[in-house]
Amino acid sequence: MADSPSVPAAVAEPSVEELAPTPPAARGLAGHWDVVLRLGLLGIVIILAAYFAIRTWTGSWPPIFLTTDNIQNIGRQMAVYGVIAVGETFVIITAGIDLSVGSVLGVSGVVAALELLNGWPLIVAIITPLILATAIGLFNGLLIDTQRLPPFIVTLGMLGVLRGVTQLLGSGKEVTFDPTQANASGFLAFAGNTFLGVPNLFWILLAVSVVAGIFLHFTRRGQYIYALGSNLEGARRAGVNIRATTLTVYAISGFLAGVAGIMLTARTSLGDPLAGTGYELDAIAAAVLGGASLFGARGSIAGTFLGVLLVQVLANGIDLIGVQPYWQQVIEGSLLIFVVWVDQWRKRRLAQ
Amino acid sequence: MVAEERTEIAPVLEAHGIFKRYGRVTALNGVEFEAYPREIVALIGDNGAGKSTLIKILSGAIRPDEGTIVLDGQTVEFHTPRDARDAGIETVYQDLALAQDLDVATNLFLGREVVLPGLLGMLEFLNRKAMRTQAAQYLRQLRVTIQNPRQTVDTLSGGQRQSVAVARAVFWGKHILILDEPTAALGVAQSTMVLELIQRVRDQGLTVVFISHNMPHVFEVADRMIVLRHGQRVGTLFPKEASMEQAVSLMTGALGTDSRTA
Repeated sequence: MADSPSVPAAVAEPSVEELAPTPPAARGLAGHWDVVLRLGLLGIVIILAAYFAIRTWTGSWPPIFLTTDNIQNIGRQMAVYGVIAVGETFVIITAGIDLSVGSVLGVSGVVAALELLNGWPLIVAIITPLILATAIGLFNGLLIDTQRLPPFIVTLGMLGVLRGVTQLLGSGKEVTFDPTQANASGFLAFAGNTFLGVPNLFWILLAVSVVAGIFLHFTRRGQYIYALGSNLEGARRAGVNIRATTLTVYAISGFLAGVAGIMLTARTSLGDPLAGTGYELDAIAAAVLGGASLFGARGSIAGTFLGVLLVQVLANGIDLIGVQPYWQQVIEGSLLIFVVWVDQWRKRRLAQ
Repeated sequence: MVAEERTEIAPVLEAHGIFKRYGRVTALNGVEFEAYPREIVALIGDNGAGKSTLIKILSGAIRPDEGTIVLDGQTVEFHTPRDARDAGIETVYQDLALAQDLDVATNLFLGREVVLPGLLGMLEFLNRKAMRTQAAQYLRQLRVTIQNPRQTVDTLSGGQRQSVAVARAVFWGKHILILDEPTAALGVAQSTMVLELIQRVRDQGLTVVFISHNMPHVFEVADRMIVLRHGQRVGTLFPKEASMEQAVSLMTGALGTDSRTA
């Protein structure tokens, strides 16, 4: 047989025996679920935005919800959650999970603050936490791949270990540094500023999302991430380097949690040892809302981005209209269950 | 093909004196195996006869305790399945090893993707268009009917899935294909699709070795049948000459000869 199959001169048209083809319904809604879901999410965001705009109408344009200030606020809020959620998406697609990201965020932020406090150059205060965060991610990945430990347990353990370490580092208190310090002022200014009307922190989220999206959807390693989540053994047999792929996703998750931690320190101008507590759940929720499945092989950066947008629009709007913030949790939780439910319906539909 | 002609041609794959023991159980007890070019050989036998063990040895998944494997006249040793694949032996196990959530073209190229030319290629950017085109062409060539190559594997029928798994194994130009129960989970129409594919693959010059419990299917496509029982080879049958009853008798031990001396 030729190395690259070539079509013979007289190739017959495919015969008509369409043996048990995909039923028309599955080619419809269930077959194009990813697109449907994203449109659906966008639709919900638009509806929510419209609702909040109406509810915060003050008699003149723009309504409070749609003021530049508020939209920029949503952007800033989205930035930290979004970056961490993007990292989590990579891990979830491999049918893994990273529960340590909230703690990685915390330790990264505190390390950055400590270094600034001690007068270290800004560049060092940014690079050290990133290296640390990536190393933690690699460590997680190594334990999971070489020792075959369940990701849930490994990262849950790290969640605790890191949170404890963070408290030790800060002696149980917030780490504050002088915001007017030479090494810190530019840092804080950057976090508070906007460029072309868009908050800098949001630009970071955009940059991260674009790079992550291109890597995940257009490169070979990105393909392997999906393959691993779809059929680990099959991928292994096909020659995919399982270890490299596993290490890659956990390193990315750790790294981005580090980025988020630094962003948060820049925004709040202090190193909070409790920063990031619970963020892992928000990250997972955003990814799943965006179409990722905990069983792996599903999900996208765009979807996660929409998931984060939805959650932050909801949070912001509920706060503005004065409704108790607990409603946000109720709505978010219900949406999550709904999305997962519909995903299962889609799966059953396709299985005929 | 008649046996007298066959002795002129050298086997493409042979195994001699294969022993495999698991503790006190002897899975394979000095088995001889041979497969010729452009042939479909069926490996048949009751449960526990050693068929799976033998093909696992031939595909490099496990190592024999004793015995040699000869490929194209050269003695070879397979330490891993990779070795067997590199030597030209592709195996499709019952689980198919397809990534259900990914599309047909992606599965076909899994592990061996085509990247874009130039700088993007060095960064490992995928050339999906090329892969899709080649996949569609190739499936057409093999008469595997898949409506849309962008379909994910989980939307395909069982027969289509098996066909994709077989097509993938053959795609890489290997000259020996081993199939473990290719029609086991399939209905009548879908089995036909797969059996026809196997024959087309043989006609294109490959050697196909397959395990099956389905006697009608075996008799339909096999050129030759090797019968195992309790870890030993108890006979060689030719579907054109032997009957299913003979085959089953050999498998279960009621008969101790092969069709040549019956």
